[in-house]
Amino acid sequence: MPKLIFRLFLTFIVFVGIFILIQKLLTPESFGKYGHYRANSLDDNKMRTSFYKGDAKCTECHQEVYDLRETDVHSGVRCESCHSPKIDATTDCKVMPPIVKGTIKFCAECHATNPARLKKGVPQLDFKEHYEKQNCIECHNPHAPWELKEN
Amino acid sequence: MEEHYKHLYEALSQVDGYIYPNEIDLHWGLMIVLYPYITGLVAGAFILASLERVFNVKVLKPTYGLALLTALSFLLVATLPLVSHLRHPLRAYEILMTPNPTSAMAIFGFVYLWYLMVVLLLEIWFDYRLDFVLWSKKSTGFKKFFYRTITLGINDTDKKSAKLDDKLGYFITLIGIPSAFLLHGYVGFIFGSIKANPWWSTVLMPVIFLFSAMVSGIALVMVIYMVVSWFRKVAIDMPCLDTIAKYLFYILIIDFTLESLDQIHRIYEAEESFDIIKVLVSGKLNITLLIMQVLLGTIIPLIVIGIFQVYKPSEKIRKFSYFFVGILVLIGIFFMRWNVVIGGQLFSKSLSGFTSFKAVYSGLEGYVMAAVWLIVPLLILTFLLWLMPPWKKVTMHE
Amino acid sequence: MGTERKLNNRRKFFQTSAALVGGTLLYALIKPFEALAQPKEEEIKTDQANLAIWGMGVDLEKCIGCGKCAEACKIENKVPKEPFYFRTWVEQYTVKNDGTVIIESPNGGIGGLKQSVPDEEIFKSFMVPKLCNHCTKAPCVQACPVGATFISPDGVVLVDETYCIGCSYCIQACPYGARFMNPITKVADKCTFCYHRISEGLQPACVEVCPTDARIFGDLRDKESDLVKFLQVKPTQVLKPHLNTHSRVFYNGLSSEVK
Repeated sequence: MPKLIFRLFLTFIVFVGIFILIQKLLTPESFGKYGHYRANSLDDNKMRTSFYKGDAKCTECHQEVYDLRETDVHSGVRCESCHSPKIDATTDCKVMPPIVKGTIKFCAECHATNPARLKKGVPQLDFKEHYEKQNCIECHNPHAPWELKEN
Repeated sequence: MEEHYKHLYEALSQVDGYIYPNEIDLHWGLMIVLYPYITGLVAGAFILASLERVFNVKVLKPTYGLALLTALSFLLVATLPLVSHLRHPLRAYEILMTPNPTSAMAIFGFVYLWYLMVVLLLEIWFDYRLDFVLWSKKSTGFKKFFYRTITLGINDTDKKSAKLDDKLGYFITLIGIPSAFLLHGYVGFIFGSIKANPWWSTVLMPVIFLFSAMVSGIALVMVIYMVVSWFRKVAIDMPCLDTIAKYLFYILIIDFTLESLDQIHRIYEAEESFDIIKVLVSGKLNITLLIMQVLLGTIIPLIVIGIFQVYKPSEKIRKFSYFFVGILVLIGIFFMRWNVVIGGQLFSKSLSGFTSFKAVYSGLEGYVMAAVWLIVPLLILTFLLWLMPPWKKVTMHE
Repeated sequence: MGTERKLNNRRKFFQTSAALVGGTLLYALIKPFEALAQPKEEEIKTDQANLAIWGMGVDLEKCIGCGKCAEACKIENKVPKEPFYFRTWVEQYTVKNDGTVIIESPNGGIGGLKQSVPDEEIFKSFMVPKLCNHCTKAPCVQACPVGATFISPDGVVLVDETYCIGCSYCIQACPYGARFMNPITKVADKCTFCYHRISEGLQPACVEVCPTDARIFGDLRDKESDLVKFLQVKPTQVLKPHLNTHSRVFYNGLSSEVK
């Protein structure tokens, strides 16, 4: 076989061979199992920590608050809608209690007057007209809003 | 990080209308404008070379070798703006390992490798092989070592082998033409296939990219030929230069027609995205598109070279005009890429607002970096011209 | 003669190698275009035939734009707090009497959406939560060059954070603006339907905290689920249906002004 043929042919074969070998080596093992992706990524995505625990967890200690909430108009609102968990991998509400400041600003997130909120079943208030200087929770029990405290 | 957020807060305050909250930051910046520009120059320079080799436009012979070496110099740099733009550049090999069959971008690795190794390098090798053999006998030091090695030991100098080199080079150029189309066409497809973005999503996008690439490549070779000749203090082959300009003219007409067709079609159909695009073109893109790309980059070159087809002034005037026009075209095509890439991200996919582009000078996405990526190929070209000067070739293909 | 044979051999060699190279190239070229039109819909393997196909319903007649969903999502998924990165957000649409439409989403709606247009100028106004639509024919999955974003066997579009190269092509391809580049991990990020929660039988965080039950999450294959019942009863629409993404987020009460 003449030099040229042999050398170029060899180069070509070697190149393709090395490429395929590298491809086999560098492709992650679970790749292609369910589709064109690394199947183990499904588990990676499942492995994240959850911070929101759900009402069931809260009622382990705070059943009476839950029961009270169920009697009044905030029954559709879950604990963590207002009491968002602190971001910490070891969130334990005893260590980092998710306390909510019942300020007007906070309650206004749902209850401020907004034409887009008409007829959606949520009472709206122009807070300037209502009690500007007081916090809502000074009169309203957040877990039973219509149980007004005596002034 | 704080610096980055500062610039984002600034952009937030400059939002015009409504944009989706995630659209504040432009994800594709100057580097992504550069990449199609560089591969366009490569494809265009190669097409000019193939005009001579395959289509037998013999008058272009003086620029054949120069065009090939220009294409090679720019191709060697082409990947760098891309890889430097990635947030995880060290994972870039994944594109070659597990390319997604449905992704236009995944073709990049293979097309690039194919074009570099099989088309450009082989063609240059076949063209220069005999010269390397002859040069190696007369030179010393690094050059001698290089010439001896690169011939891969094939030292035949007889006429039959020269003819074979010739034939094979021709064959490679022949398959090189569709390869060049693919090398740059797929970039157009990357943009043209994104249905989410109405500025990008048009059937004409790959074709427009291709023709503007040819325009930029031809202009580049024209300018480089003039500069190299000036450095070498040799006379410019005017019939060659006139012909290059003529082809530049023809292809620029086609490019302009295609781009105008795209815009006219948009204006006529005036479908959902047209309202925001109208504001985009007349507002944020008015300078880069209407003045830089259209007026300076297309209309003026067309008029100048167009006049020369009918009335030919003196050589001196022509030379100066070609140089001037070549630079204008190069700038114009750069701004064409700019208008596509940056323009497409300036307006929101909600078709209701605009964000803004922040120019940075330093850093991996800055103007300085862009200048580096444009200057390095010229340095490589200088080196290649020293190593394998086309004008010192003993042999020339038929 | 000797040279002739050499030339013949050389010619034959080049023909063969050209054929080989050409063949390889042809294969390499054709393979990517195999599934050119759309991403393959993953066929569920038999052992996974019992998997759910997740979807979400959004009832615009109930959304009050309190922004708790957007806030909860950021907490649950550790999304940077800056107002440039959202896995979900709420938009406020105000249609004025003169026909102009104002769309706003300051900080994605976190902190509650407020109205600044005077009442008398407002024709109508409503809130629209947005999120990744987990399209069955996701253009982002189609666009990813390496296979770092994909549709899970249960219909959720996910990102492989260890594999993404950060090219942002998927972000460009998403018609809904649902994706962003995470500044910390430097990979593409987006709503995952809280995959880590739904795989444990929990609801996504946004659904968990919505005070008016405007978001309904469920298994599209489960005839008894709230989601399927919602779809049966309400006239639902998807966003940008003309793009044919086969979105799996269904809106009730989607007004024509919604972008």
